[in-house]
Amino acid sequence: MFTLEWVKKLEDRLSLEYIKQELLRTAFSTEKSFFTQLDPRILLAWYGYFAIVPWFIYEHVTLVGYLLFMVILTVIARVSPLILTVLAVGLAGEILLLGFIALLFGGDLSIVAPMFWLSIKLAVISLASVTVFSSINPEKFSDALLRLGAPAQFSFSVAYAYRILPTLLEEFQQIILSYRLRGLAPSKNGVLYFRKIYYYITMLIKSFYPLILNSAKRSRTTVEALEIKGFSYAAKDKRVLKMKTNYLQTSQMDWLFLLLTVCYVVIVHSLQLIL
Amino acid sequence: MTSLKPLIECQDLTFRYPGEEKFILKDLTCTINEGEFLAIIGGNGSGKSTLCKAFNGLIPHFYVGDYTGKVTLDGVCTTTTDVATLSQSIGYVYQDFQNQLLRPTALEDACFMPLNYGLDDYKERGLWALEVTGLLDVKNEFIWRLSGGQQHLLALAGAIAMRPKLLVIDEPIAQLDPHHAEQIYEVLKKLHTDYGMTIVVIEHHTDFIAEYCSHVMLLDKGQVLWKKETVAALNCVEELLERNIFPPQVTQIAHSLQLKQPYPVTLKQSIQTFKASPWKQQATVHHIPQHTKPMVQLNNIELAYNQRLENNKLVLQNISLELSTHEHIALVGNNGAGKSTLLKVIAGIVRPTSGELYIQEQLIARAMPEKLAQDMGFIFQNPEEMFIEDSVRKEISFYLKSRKVNDYETYVDELLETFELVDLQDQDARLLSGGQQRRVSLAIGAAMRPKILLLDEPTANLDIATKQHVLNMLLELKKYVQTIVIATHDMELVAEWSSRVVVLSNGCILADDTSERIFQNHGIMAAGHIKAPQVVQLTTALSLPYCSSVSQFIAGYLQQVERGVHVGMG
Repeated sequence: MFTLEWVKKLEDRLSLEYIKQELLRTAFSTEKSFFTQLDPRILLAWYGYFAIVPWFIYEHVTLVGYLLFMVILTVIARVSPLILTVLAVGLAGEILLLGFIALLFGGDLSIVAPMFWLSIKLAVISLASVTVFSSINPEKFSDALLRLGAPAQFSFSVAYAYRILPTLLEEFQQIILSYRLRGLAPSKNGVLYFRKIYYYITMLIKSFYPLILNSAKRSRTTVEALEIKGFSYAAKDKRVLKMKTNYLQTSQMDWLFLLLTVCYVVIVHSLQLIL
Repeated sequence: MTSLKPLIECQDLTFRYPGEEKFILKDLTCTINEGEFLAIIGGNGSGKSTLCKAFNGLIPHFYVGDYTGKVTLDGVCTTTTDVATLSQSIGYVYQDFQNQLLRPTALEDACFMPLNYGLDDYKERGLWALEVTGLLDVKNEFIWRLSGGQQHLLALAGAIAMRPKLLVIDEPIAQLDPHHAEQIYEVLKKLHTDYGMTIVVIEHHTDFIAEYCSHVMLLDKGQVLWKKETVAALNCVEELLERNIFPPQVTQIAHSLQLKQPYPVTLKQSIQTFKASPWKQQATVHHIPQHTKPMVQLNNIELAYNQRLENNKLVLQNISLELSTHEHIALVGNNGAGKSTLLKVIAGIVRPTSGELYIQEQLIARAMPEKLAQDMGFIFQNPEEMFIEDSVRKEISFYLKSRKVNDYETYVDELLETFELVDLQDQDARLLSGGQQRRVSLAIGAAMRPKILLLDEPTANLDIATKQHVLNMLLELKKYVQTIVIATHDMELVAEWSSRVVVLSNGCILADDTSERIFQNHGIMAAGHIKAPQVVQLTTALSLPYCSSVSQFIAGYLQQVERGVHVGMG
């Protein structure tokens, strides 16, 4: 009965409500951390480096150095454990899958080492993304985009996507509930909970149809509301853009953070040369 | 008022939505003057919302259909000016106001409009709008953490931040408890008298019209039948009833009794009218059903919400209740009192932090919703959230089909018949009107053949005629179901339907009694933010025997007349 208890415990922890709360916490950066105080433009620029450069680094020492840096930053940014778990599972799954495919096509265990280093790369990039996006709140993100010259429609749709996220999650939760309140769960769990898992997965997939229909209906009002609130009026006016993003100002802390990063990167790269 | 300055002028306005045969507006001509507080009334499909969308140019700019005629807003022609420009002098609050909130926090949403128009004082304007609507305390709160009532006020704040000359609100109080409804209207009144805004509401609740509006405009089949001052308008009882619009209860009573016109339209006036009446009969004692075996038993239920988020407050505390067979229980209390949550606890959807739940004397600890659904049906406040299939028929059969009930098709046919859905059975339920959707949701509940049926706000968002219909359906449900619990703001429903009322306030049970006794206890009503229906208030004010409905009042009155008691009417 050990497994049953364990599953029950997991079920308690992994309720839909918990996932919802964690996602919202991440998306809206409701908690203050070092990163939430930085100028989003600086963060985006910083992210620009760490999202692209690691792909072209092959030296092991440098990669480990980068990874270490990201791990420290992730801790400082207080990234949600749920997100980290999902990341970890994703990475592990990928290694396994690629390894399996390699073996299937006649490779041998020599594949493991390069796979490992590829995953380190991915980990660096993913951790950088998580750190940045769980620290920039949607408003700042969209305003930063606007200030960096993105079209108003684009930056607004980013902000609106965040705005609609809680509504969608809630709606999704309700629809799942509707299924459960009227459906019939398998009475037996099946081998390795197979039946139950199958039941839940089909339910999740089926829920998307009503979800999409309902949101399509909502968006009608939203589009009209945008118009009557003068959004298209603002999009034409450069002055409004300035007013909207005036509060974005870099401070000493921003430059300090960039400086630190540069120093660290330089050190890591020179370590590679020395060793 | 000396000279009337027209703010809106419609001339021979005709409009038809694309792809439809019928004209929704036909040669409509009307004028709305500055300084009016106008209620637009009319049956379903009479063109109320369509007309209002023509005021700010959404029609014809956004809804391209067949459009002829001319509308001017403050002297500006709506066809030649774009919506964004027109919107500076007209604020609009939608019926589905949640979708009109576009920014993540309250203050940002309130400032959104003045900011878009590049006004330097956009922040002050936003703050002012929040102050007028009483939302200053929550200005930095995320929108999704606001209650429904607060969201509605915020939609209003967003619409008035530009200080428009005209404010249009589509059914402002459809989803609110009486207390919050009054709050909204008080804000509108303030905007009207203190800030000189002209206000147009689309409204079904004639008691609020009588209390707050200066004029009423009746729409019928896309035309304006008349526009009158409120008292005169509500006195056209027959004309209104013909179109399924119900005047205030006191007006209906006066009309049925063929009193002298003008009939009273507010409670205050009616007390004057009926004051001289010498009813002396003792109050009839309501039949209190015997408490038999409990279907549902709650012991000391407590629930803390948002354990992870900041406010770790108790949503429910010390809830102990026994619900028996053949009881019709109404759960009342203001928005946020914990009604919906309590329903969810009973349904096993939300697990209480502590306390025990027994269903048919069996302890429910951590049952799956699927299992509880054997005996229990739950009908959501928003029918759309129940729709998981693509046709009405499939919605109703889903439960029966998943349980492989023998010969379920016949039963579904029967239900379609009962709930008058035969003609609609192949349509997607999401595309039906509000009243039809509600009927589908009730049929879904009945199809589950539950012993216990829980309904969340079954009459919210319905016009009064459809509401009557739903009420009949609820009576119909008594055939199938043993215990029914309804969470509602609708006090007329409570008075006419329930056998027992549980009043919740801040997550505690405040009272548990018959509606008759609750409606006569002012302390409880004040604490629970509930308000008796007009007819009950009238009987109380006149110290008459308790009446739960207009028809009961009239019957009682006529009985008095038959007995030869002299009734002196003012």
